[in-house]
Amino acid sequence: MPITLPSYREQAPEVKERFDRLKQRPVKMEVRGLYKVFGSTDGPVTALQGIDFTLHRREFLSVIGPSGCGKSTLIRILAGLEIPTSGEVSVDGQVVRGPGADCGMVFQSYTLFPWLTVKQNVMFGLKIAGNSSNKAEAEAREWVSLVGLERFENSYPNQLSGGMKQRAAIARALANRPKVLLMDEPFGALDAQTRANMQSYLLEIWRNVDVSIVFITHDLDEAIYLADRILVLKANPGEVEELIEVPVPRPRATSQFLEPPFLATRKRLEALIHPPEKSLKQRLKISRMTEVGDDVE
Amino acid sequence: MPKNKVPWFAVRQDLSGRRQSLLALLSFALPIGLWCLVSYVPSIWHPDVRLHISAEREGSSTVYTPGNHLGKDHFQRFVQTIREQNLEIQRYWRGEQEVTEPPRMVRRSNQRVLRQIGRFAVANGWLERDERQDDEKLFEIWRGLAEGELRGREQRLTEENLEILRANWAWLEEMETFSAAALPAIPLQQLLPQGRPANPVFLPNPHDVVLSWWDLFSEEPTGEGKTLRERLGYSLRIVFSGFLLSCLIGLPLGVLCGTYNLFSRLFEPFVDFFRYMPAPVFSTLLVAIFGAHDAPKIALIFVGTFFQMVLVIAKTTRLLDRSLLEAAQTLGAKNRHLVLKVIVPGVMPNVYNDLRILLGWAWTWLVIAELIGVKAGLTEFIETQGRWRNFDLVFPVIITIGLIGFATDQLLAFLRRFLFPWEPKGYRLSLNWLTEGHRKE
Repeated sequence: MPITLPSYREQAPEVKERFDRLKQRPVKMEVRGLYKVFGSTDGPVTALQGIDFTLHRREFLSVIGPSGCGKSTLIRILAGLEIPTSGEVSVDGQVVRGPGADCGMVFQSYTLFPWLTVKQNVMFGLKIAGNSSNKAEAEAREWVSLVGLERFENSYPNQLSGGMKQRAAIARALANRPKVLLMDEPFGALDAQTRANMQSYLLEIWRNVDVSIVFITHDLDEAIYLADRILVLKANPGEVEELIEVPVPRPRATSQFLEPPFLATRKRLEALIHPPEKSLKQRLKISRMTEVGDDVE
Repeated sequence: MPKNKVPWFAVRQDLSGRRQSLLALLSFALPIGLWCLVSYVPSIWHPDVRLHISAEREGSSTVYTPGNHLGKDHFQRFVQTIREQNLEIQRYWRGEQEVTEPPRMVRRSNQRVLRQIGRFAVANGWLERDERQDDEKLFEIWRGLAEGELRGREQRLTEENLEILRANWAWLEEMETFSAAALPAIPLQQLLPQGRPANPVFLPNPHDVVLSWWDLFSEEPTGEGKTLRERLGYSLRIVFSGFLLSCLIGLPLGVLCGTYNLFSRLFEPFVDFFRYMPAPVFSTLLVAIFGAHDAPKIALIFVGTFFQMVLVIAKTTRLLDRSLLEAAQTLGAKNRHLVLKVIVPGVMPNVYNDLRILLGWAWTWLVIAELIGVKAGLTEFIETQGRWRNFDLVFPVIITIGLIGFATDQLLAFLRRFLFPWEPKGYRLSLNWLTEGHRKE
């Protein structure tokens, strides 16, 4: 029996009210007409085409899209690590001209400095910003305990598990008080159990810290569970397909995964990211290699 | 509990620590064992004869003295020649031929026959080293040998030589005590050359090498010539001066080349070209510029290591994970901080390993450096003693150089744990087999 779902556009009154409030908040990051063209041996390839969006204060934005849609290029441009072919990114009205402390970033690969302990890693940005060692250490301690790594503050990164490394990386990025926190598939390398824990952790941290987050993922559930809005990109060229306002009320809980607003959003995302006309059966010619009965079909 | 052991031949699997240590010990024990085998088992490979009794050949200007090495064939011919000479002498004894030489000359050559056993007597402990030409004592030893009282422990006379000795003694014993004037005026037979199988001089026996190693390095300075310890100190100073100078300029330049494309493009092409010119080709030039003493030697080691160092360090620096730099940038680090706080600490462990390898190169260039200008240091010693074929003195020095290099590397490998505590604990130190092996057990 097919389950009838509401439209993902239907918002409960408290959700709608929340979005109204969110849009009233000041804009932290503004992206205008972003193009990125790479030169290749087969001529120029357009990676991103006309990307526009705004990120409000304390907003959580997920970016999702099929592989090759330019998600990583987008976030690297936002961080100032790559220069757009045209268009611009501004943070608090200031155009981003290169990487800096305004936009913190958490990478998928573990980028903790292996020669520094967890605490020293967290102190890194603070000391560069000119804080005294004592002040930096005191602040770093707070951030380390916020991500639950007090017992490991003097451990080196290679003594930590993958999840602990990413928690330390988040602490390191947040300790710098960035205006925007950019996260490039930060939990992509973790196992499912750890990943679920990290998602809850991140929401808890974000609730307590004044920071706007752009979160890249290819995991649909992760995107819905975490985000206020989801920016869906499509590939070739990378364009904004849709900007979805997630109708799932906050505070989020894993129990919401089976509720109608969540499922409706998920269905919409499925449709956008895995269009039905390109199903597996049509793309792959698999010949039959078994003579066992049909009980698997 | 039964242990599941890794079989001896397992592709890309580590053996147990005990086995690894055992094999590491064997890797030293095997060559040393082979050396002992070749040296101490006469049936294996002894192409030479080392003389302990020599003789004079008439009409030949080549003189062999005890201690000399002869090829086996040559030795046989040598013995045969002396035998034939002795047959001639027996003709005088039988009166078939008249002695034409003046008695003075005959007595002189008989005195030399008497002295034939000089070294032989020393080897057996009957004489002190400086008594080899003490004819009175030698005479008493002849008596002892002829009457069977002395037999010899270390070296013994062959039956043939005993007979010759006794036949001579029949002439000599009339003297009662030695006097040069009373030597018989008729020629005596020479003892035949005697020796034992030996390896060529370039392969001294292990125990000789160990003994001369001890002698060389326990030598106290006498003010006359340099002791080996002084030479070692000199060589170490040259190696480390050259190498430190190289590091002083090469390290920062290498890191800069690995960090900034500007420096890389500006320096690396020329450095890459220059390193293909082997350092020794500059030796005469360096002597012309820096004089003949220490400076050109240090400069040669510098030339030999500097250019390699720049390229190797630049490459190591480029291998640093880019994402670490990007992470640092998003934390607000700019140029100076990126270099000092990220690149330098990030590449340090690998640079340290590179330097260990380059230090090995410095030792290689030392051998050439010490031969340019005024020869000096360990190499001069090796060169001189090698020319005199004193290989039992050369070997200890060569082995010492090897040991110092090996020990330095081990020490640096050991220090690495303390300098870079964040490097994974399981890191395999090159050749640090013994400690590593036992810890694993």
